[in-house]
Amino acid sequence: MFQNTKCECGHQNPVGTVLCESCGKPLIEELLTDENAPLEMRYDGVARRSQKSNPHIVDRIWNFFSSVKIAVYLIVITLLGAALGTIFQQESTLINLTERSEFAAYYKEEHGTLGVIYHALGLSRTYESWWFITLLVMIGTSLVVCSLDRVLPLYRALSKQQIRKHLQFITRQQVVYSGDMQGDNEAWITEFGKQLKRKHYRIWQEDGALLAEKNRFSRWGPYINHIGLIIFLLAVLGRGIPAWHMDQYLALYEGETRQIPGTNYYVKNEKFTVDYYPENELANNQKGTKVVKLYETKARLFECTDVCDDPIQEPVLTEVKQHDIRVNSAMSYKGLKLYQNSFQERVRFISVHPTLMDVATGKPIGSFDLLMDDPIEKYEVGPYTLKLNDYYPDFGLDEQNRPMTKTREPNNPAFVFRIQGPNLQAKGEIYIYFPMPSEKSKFYQKLLNDSFKQRGDSQGVFSIQVENPIVDGKMNNIKYSEYTTYLNIRMDKAMPYIWVGAAISMIGLIMGFYWQHRRIWLRIDEGKLSLGGHTNKNSFGLRADVAWALGRTGIEVLPKSLDNRRNVR
Amino acid sequence: MSWWLDFSSNAFIVAFYLYCASFICFAIAVGGKRWSNRKPEDHTNRWGKIGFAAAVIGWIAHLTFFFTRWYGGGHIPTSNMYEFMTFLGMAIMFAFIVVHLIYRNMLLGAFALPLVIIIIAYASVFPSEVQPLIPALNNYWLKIHVTTAATGEAFFAVGFAAALMQLIRVVDFTRTDKAGKRAQFWTEFSLFVIIVLIGFLVAVFGFRGAGYESAFKQEVVKIDDNGVATSEIKEVKYSLPPIVAPYNSETVSFQSFLGMKEPAFESPSWLNGVNAGRKLNTVIWSVISGLVLYGVLRLIARKKLTAVINPHLADIDPEDLEEISYRAIAIGFPIFTLGALIFAMIWAEIAWSRFWGWDPKEVWALVTFLFYSAYLHLRLSRGWQGTRSAWLAVIGFLVVMFTLVGVNLVIAGLHSYAGV
Amino acid sequence: MGRYRKTIQYIILAVVLLVGGFAIGNSLFSKSVVLTKGDKPPSFRLAGLDNQVHEWKDYEGQPLIVNFWGTFCPPCRNEMPALQKQYEKWEGQGLELIGINLSEDRLTVESFIRQVGVNFPILMDKDKRTEKAYGLKQYPTTFFIGRNGKIQEVVIGGLLTEEEIEVRVERLMKS
Repeated sequence: MFQNTKCECGHQNPVGTVLCESCGKPLIEELLTDENAPLEMRYDGVARRSQKSNPHIVDRIWNFFSSVKIAVYLIVITLLGAALGTIFQQESTLINLTERSEFAAYYKEEHGTLGVIYHALGLSRTYESWWFITLLVMIGTSLVVCSLDRVLPLYRALSKQQIRKHLQFITRQQVVYSGDMQGDNEAWITEFGKQLKRKHYRIWQEDGALLAEKNRFSRWGPYINHIGLIIFLLAVLGRGIPAWHMDQYLALYEGETRQIPGTNYYVKNEKFTVDYYPENELANNQKGTKVVKLYETKARLFECTDVCDDPIQEPVLTEVKQHDIRVNSAMSYKGLKLYQNSFQERVRFISVHPTLMDVATGKPIGSFDLLMDDPIEKYEVGPYTLKLNDYYPDFGLDEQNRPMTKTREPNNPAFVFRIQGPNLQAKGEIYIYFPMPSEKSKFYQKLLNDSFKQRGDSQGVFSIQVENPIVDGKMNNIKYSEYTTYLNIRMDKAMPYIWVGAAISMIGLIMGFYWQHRRIWLRIDEGKLSLGGHTNKNSFGLRADVAWALGRTGIEVLPKSLDNRRNVR
Repeated sequence: MSWWLDFSSNAFIVAFYLYCASFICFAIAVGGKRWSNRKPEDHTNRWGKIGFAAAVIGWIAHLTFFFTRWYGGGHIPTSNMYEFMTFLGMAIMFAFIVVHLIYRNMLLGAFALPLVIIIIAYASVFPSEVQPLIPALNNYWLKIHVTTAATGEAFFAVGFAAALMQLIRVVDFTRTDKAGKRAQFWTEFSLFVIIVLIGFLVAVFGFRGAGYESAFKQEVVKIDDNGVATSEIKEVKYSLPPIVAPYNSETVSFQSFLGMKEPAFESPSWLNGVNAGRKLNTVIWSVISGLVLYGVLRLIARKKLTAVINPHLADIDPEDLEEISYRAIAIGFPIFTLGALIFAMIWAEIAWSRFWGWDPKEVWALVTFLFYSAYLHLRLSRGWQGTRSAWLAVIGFLVVMFTLVGVNLVIAGLHSYAGV
Repeated sequence: MGRYRKTIQYIILAVVLLVGGFAIGNSLFSKSVVLTKGDKPPSFRLAGLDNQVHEWKDYEGQPLIVNFWGTFCPPCRNEMPALQKQYEKWEGQGLELIGINLSEDRLTVESFIRQVGVNFPILMDKDKRTEKAYGLKQYPTTFFIGRNGKIQEVVIGGLLTEEEIEVRVERLMKS
């Protein structure tokens, strides 16, 4: 259907215009039938850009995303999808499982048949699923297209407003007043304008007509909000770029230094401390339980400065940062962030300082340092040379009863030394040493050393042991870590954009919601005053403004009586 | 130290009774127009003003409670369910006072105050003792995030109260067509849900007052992150007579009630979560006592409760109510976005190293945000006004309450410490 | 503005298609670390027990067996002699065999190797880095890599017998 878009005032309007861009006269047929019904003032009645008479395929896609109805559908579907994802735990929270079959088993065990269905539908990975991401992308598109289609025409309409509007435009506003005027009309209009000025309106006057407007900027609030959201969404997508995002966990016992995988940085756990609340600070229902007050990792961050990629040599490290990492207080260095994630109470040996004893005299010959990680091979003690022959971090026996290590951790370390020196066999004598201060270790140590003696591998003249193992109730001459700390290491280059997007969005929201665009038009035709007012939000406030200004200029009205919706009823 | 806490709980009790008094005044303002010979407007104004004054004084007592508890406890009292719900009640009062001062609608109090009373009574179901802060909460963002989020939600609550009033106001009892019947049913149903909530409170406090207790031993099988199943025996205590026993449990002690000597059935295995059996039992008791309460009220009134309230609202414009409801939500929306999403993201970035982790509580905050943005778009751009938008405001508040309470009761997650 | 409307529409929709496609694609094809037949193995650069640097590119293009093992893992220990025998048998025909140790102490490894009499190169992983790059779940895991530099077969868990190794080596040599 071809629509005549030329208004009686002579203005040529684009196709799809609801209210004449110039004088405000309703142009659409259905608006002309009922001359009293309040006008729909959305976007000031201008044609949205996407409304074209003959759509091409690109136009159709464009129109699809330009529709607020579609936008609302997208929001609602996203909302439902997001809610579905909270029914059961998401896979991403199950850190120790990786295989699809493991997850399937977990949901079956934990939630039964419903769990199986949930997992099979892919709801256990809702937020990474293609359909959820697609919804977010579509919302983003809708934000761009909707805003662009509306903000430009609206800007045009608001930047060139006519003061004298079509009579129907005025009488069909949501806030209206009409009455007969006596005396000097121009003077009254000027006075009325002055009063509105005191309410911070801007006034334009033209013979027998007036336009008062305030807080136009609040109209841009929603669009600024949308720009912020678009930046936010783009930043979120940016996290998918591998170099922009890193997220890994590192377990460190006290004293351990480890490389942060994928970087040139090393982190050392100098010391880990944990404090619990004393009993008297706990609530009654917490008595008897341990409530953590504080835990922190004294950490040092190193950067490798030389021989970083040489597996033979040790890297050269330079300290770049020190920080006590706590929950709520991360270490941050050049975009790299180290967070306190959790901790585990687990004793781990670091080193021991044993003494070589002469069994016959019971006198010490000398002592030395023994590391649990990469121990050195030769030790000089008094006149003797100890050569480390074998090292089993977690001593055990294999199927053929040969000694082996059960794990890679020094849970029950055993060291086999070949000792050479005066008055010993020329090839040296074999002794085994268990630093762990447990009955079982001592038993094994004795048993094995006796068997070496029987085999003739040693004369049994030495014993290796820690002197004064306990001082003041604490282990002496032995270094160990009590806790293993778990650090979460992250890098997120998109974060600044996320915050910028959120801030812009917030500014837009505040602009749009805490200020309202208010406009008042009036004209006097042959002694008859017609006044119309429009606001996008809070017509209560606008009615109060109008009634106040009218009252100040001699026309007493109740704010409520100005409501056009009520008058219709 | 404990002197402050004692003083604080006394202030809380004062606030509670003042709120009740304020509600009674507002109820008289709405319901008693024809009692005296005064003009109905004067009557409403007079009692409304008294009610509002009581509400403001009650709120000051509530503030006193809050700040003395803060001082006495050493940290802002928003760290567990009791503290959070009392704070929410305080925030709703604040939102109510703001909206009341803008619109001076004397009748809004008649709907907003019962809401506040129910919420702080609900708070009192939880243990009220001050608990020390765990490390994750020990940050100034606890103050900023929780208070702003709750303030935003409080405005949604006021929007809900106005919307509910509007719905009761516009229900047309003369209509017999399908849509009319449906409107009558659902409005009545909303009131019924509120009565079930009251029933829940009555049941809990009634049996607590009587010192009721039963206990069960339950075998709980837990699967850890490595997929290893371990079973452990836990004792579950009931403070309401157990109609439903926990799944896979044995009775330890059973205090008989009205001849009931053992649980009627065991809770189904698919109900997961901490203390699922006890929660189901509580739900059943709430519905039972709600039904009884509702039945009694219906017997007294001899008509639908909406039909009882409806005539008293006759001289309010539904448009005014809609305006109030919409305005409250419009005020609350930016505050909610700031507090529950942006501040939450900042804190999550600081404490948990990621600004967003799809934790159930976060997701539900997002769901709330999306719901209200749909509401705003429908209103602004698609012209959804009147009852349709009022229903959205009512449902929206249900979403808010689920986010605040439901998530903690039904779904476990990082925010689960905010539970009890 | 009006004149460029179409161009702007095209540009915006193209950008959306690009950005959206990237995002959705990312979610559809999230990569897993588990290596299977046909994959190119991740490269490595490790110290050997011989104190030399061994790199993936030194071995690329030859039929290669990469065996991840540790002295703490009985099946690893048990299959070591069989691997050594097969190495001796096929070494002359160009077969390369390397054992990557699972981040143990050098001393522990050395004494075991001496005991068993292994003479193929033993490489020392550090901090479980290579192990993680290869997505190991169980020990031992053995990768059979063809002349084309692609994985022909992955055997998880102990091979145990010489025959079982031999069948695979023959297949490998034929490739």
